[in-house]
Amino acid sequence: MTDAQGKDQQDPQSSGPSKYDVNFFRPKSPHARADMKLISVMLVIWLVAVFGFQFLLLYTCKATPEPAYKTFQKVWPSVVSGNADADAQKQFSRSVLSVLGKNIAVSDKDKVILKEALCYSVNSLLPADKKAVLANYNGGKADTKIVAASIGLADTGFDKLMIDLLPTSLKSENPAVLSDKSKVALPGIMELFLVHNRGPLTEAKFLGFPFHYWYTAQFLLILFVLLCLTYAILIDKINAKYGFTEK
Amino acid sequence: MSKLIKISVLAVILLGLSSNVFAAGSATELEGKFKLFPAILLIGILAIFILVGIFNRAKDTSSYWAAGRKISPVGAGMAIASNWMSAASFLGMAAILYGSGYHGLSYVVGWTGGYVLLLILMASQVRRYGKYTASDFIGDRYYSKGLRTVGATLAICISFCYCVGQFAGIGLMFKWILGIDYMWAVIIGASVVLTYTLISGMLGVTKNMQIQYVIIIISFMIPLFILAQKFGYCAFIPQISNGGVVSDIVNGLEPVKGLVNRMGQDFAILPSPEYAMPWDPATGMSAFQWLALCFSLMIGTAGLPHVIQRFYVVPRAKDARWSVVWGLFFICLLYWSAPVYASYAKILSSNPEGGKLAKDAIVVYAAQLGDVWPIIVGLLAAGAVSAAFSTVSGLLVAGASAFAHDLYFKVINPEASQQKQMLMARTGTILMAAGVAIVALLNLALIAQLVALAFSLAGCTIFPLFLLGIWWSGSNRTGAWAGVIVGSGVAILALLYFVCGKYGVVLPAKEFMNMYVNPWYFAWIGAPLAVAANIIVSLITKNKTPEHIKKFLAKEVHGY
Repeated sequence: MTDAQGKDQQDPQSSGPSKYDVNFFRPKSPHARADMKLISVMLVIWLVAVFGFQFLLLYTCKATPEPAYKTFQKVWPSVVSGNADADAQKQFSRSVLSVLGKNIAVSDKDKVILKEALCYSVNSLLPADKKAVLANYNGGKADTKIVAASIGLADTGFDKLMIDLLPTSLKSENPAVLSDKSKVALPGIMELFLVHNRGPLTEAKFLGFPFHYWYTAQFLLILFVLLCLTYAILIDKINAKYGFTEK
Repeated sequence: MSKLIKISVLAVILLGLSSNVFAAGSATELEGKFKLFPAILLIGILAIFILVGIFNRAKDTSSYWAAGRKISPVGAGMAIASNWMSAASFLGMAAILYGSGYHGLSYVVGWTGGYVLLLILMASQVRRYGKYTASDFIGDRYYSKGLRTVGATLAICISFCYCVGQFAGIGLMFKWILGIDYMWAVIIGASVVLTYTLISGMLGVTKNMQIQYVIIIISFMIPLFILAQKFGYCAFIPQISNGGVVSDIVNGLEPVKGLVNRMGQDFAILPSPEYAMPWDPATGMSAFQWLALCFSLMIGTAGLPHVIQRFYVVPRAKDARWSVVWGLFFICLLYWSAPVYASYAKILSSNPEGGKLAKDAIVVYAAQLGDVWPIIVGLLAAGAVSAAFSTVSGLLVAGASAFAHDLYFKVINPEASQQKQMLMARTGTILMAAGVAIVALLNLALIAQLVALAFSLAGCTIFPLFLLGIWWSGSNRTGAWAGVIVGSGVAILALLYFVCGKYGVVLPAKEFMNMYVNPWYFAWIGAPLAVAANIIVSLITKNKTPEHIKKFLAKEVHGY
């Protein structure tokens, strides 16, 4: 193979246009034009498929609350003013538990606020003769059952998962009021974890996946392999057509 | 090559069967204890690597640097995949998806989409240019010893950053398997990688990489079939049945009698749309960050010296192209699978009573919590070590090549004999491994993120030099210098803000810089600026590209 190395000190530098100029956007020969067309088509497909789709996703998605957030919004004014009835407190507890159930997604700092809010709500739900259950709570099964009953959680379905959260979520204390810190922080935390970007592309399903997830996680990778395969085949043909023998 | 693969598969199976004789359950501890079969598997696999290295020793500099150019496209594809699939792919990918949901997919797309750029813009042209290393190309194309030195230094920096990140993965897995300190885990891992890289050079490394690929992909796939079958999803292709798992996470999955994890907790989860919905506020990541990170990783992929260097080990430019096609396919097999681990881990660890798990080891925890047989979990952990090793060995060779070939032979001592060059290559490998081990042992907060930094640095500096060097003969030495200065300047600025932020020093426009010139994705702006600087300065300076380089580009590199 010819080597360009070692000649830099001797060769004159070019001045002005040369017949050997290479410029992707100004192909001089049919071979160069064929290369440019192929690469341009590949790049456009690649760009539109990757970034075009994400822009489309961005355009079509809207902030969409989970049902738990709507419940929270409905009961929060009464909870924060201390006028919530038992039913409102139960719904409030459930909405808080639905965020605590997201576990690793929630930061430790936010969990402290959520747990305090849950304790306050449970304390207000427990009858006077059962408040000691919360004061001495250590995650025991009998105590957990009493707390679950006060919130109105059944032992099936998602309610069972919420019951499973109680031992790690309740502290042994009886807060009679929500702290000012919780009152300020809680609406933001609930919105952060219960409102999501959703739209037609996230709601459509393909192979069981939300469509956008499948497209990004699987289809794009398939497309990349296909683009590479197509390029490798076509460039061989182009090189053969223009008599370019690769050494 | 196929013989080597058969041997490695057989060895893994034999090791697995023999270790099964020993006490059961030793791989089921989540943390802290010595685990027998993972340890036996790991030792066996490392022994295979060293034996293969010894049987394929590098005898001269050509073998050491470029494997004598005797590797087939499929073999080179496996080596590309193995070289690429690091601890970040094997462990980190699932960790990111587990913790950050859709944001993690920007890594999946970025790390694969970059190969399209690499193939259509560079692979065969780089091979036809006929050099050994990335800095060889830069020095020759821009007819500048200074740029060759800068290219070699950048290659060393990039390989170094990338390597430090890998050592964190090695430390994590050695710690998990052997139940030893992180410090000893890093020292033992570094010693073994160094030993066989020194014994074999790239010929041994390339052969090793093919074996490593087989081990990596087998160890990664098997637990998925078991998890899918165990929890009632279609086990035939777990990557596809993952659709059901993802939707169950989004909509919530109610408890089913008898379906529990290893700790007896229900295989169930409350509705968690934040796992899959795009740019969810709960993940703290915006659409801009997704796009900027994805783009930076893509151009970084196409600019990584140790990836570009893989094209020098194939006999012809056509083989370089097909090696990318095969390489990407082999990589995608793993990248289609990583999200499956994240999904199962999400449900299996949904109960807070399970405690807080280290995200970086979530792949292994998913298999453990799913009550997969200990022998398979052990193989998975050994595969993770193998993934980190394969990348580290390639990085050490790339770094050593840059040091011995581009700095010592081409700049410092052009009269050096082959023996002297080999000595310097080996010295470079030792120095780099020692340096990486020391930085890894410091256990800085930066370490895990240095991999992303390496990508952005490559995207800002090496990528523009190759892109313009190949496709525009008007790009001259002065333009190249301008591009490198601008690219490096953006990188230094991003790093300065990050380091100052870490130590509490407040610089002007901190919030803006953290969002838009972030150390993990600064290439989104750094690369276009570097390209623009290169073009503008090339156009306005009188120092034009020499005619023989233009001719070489047109005739030999492009065939026009």
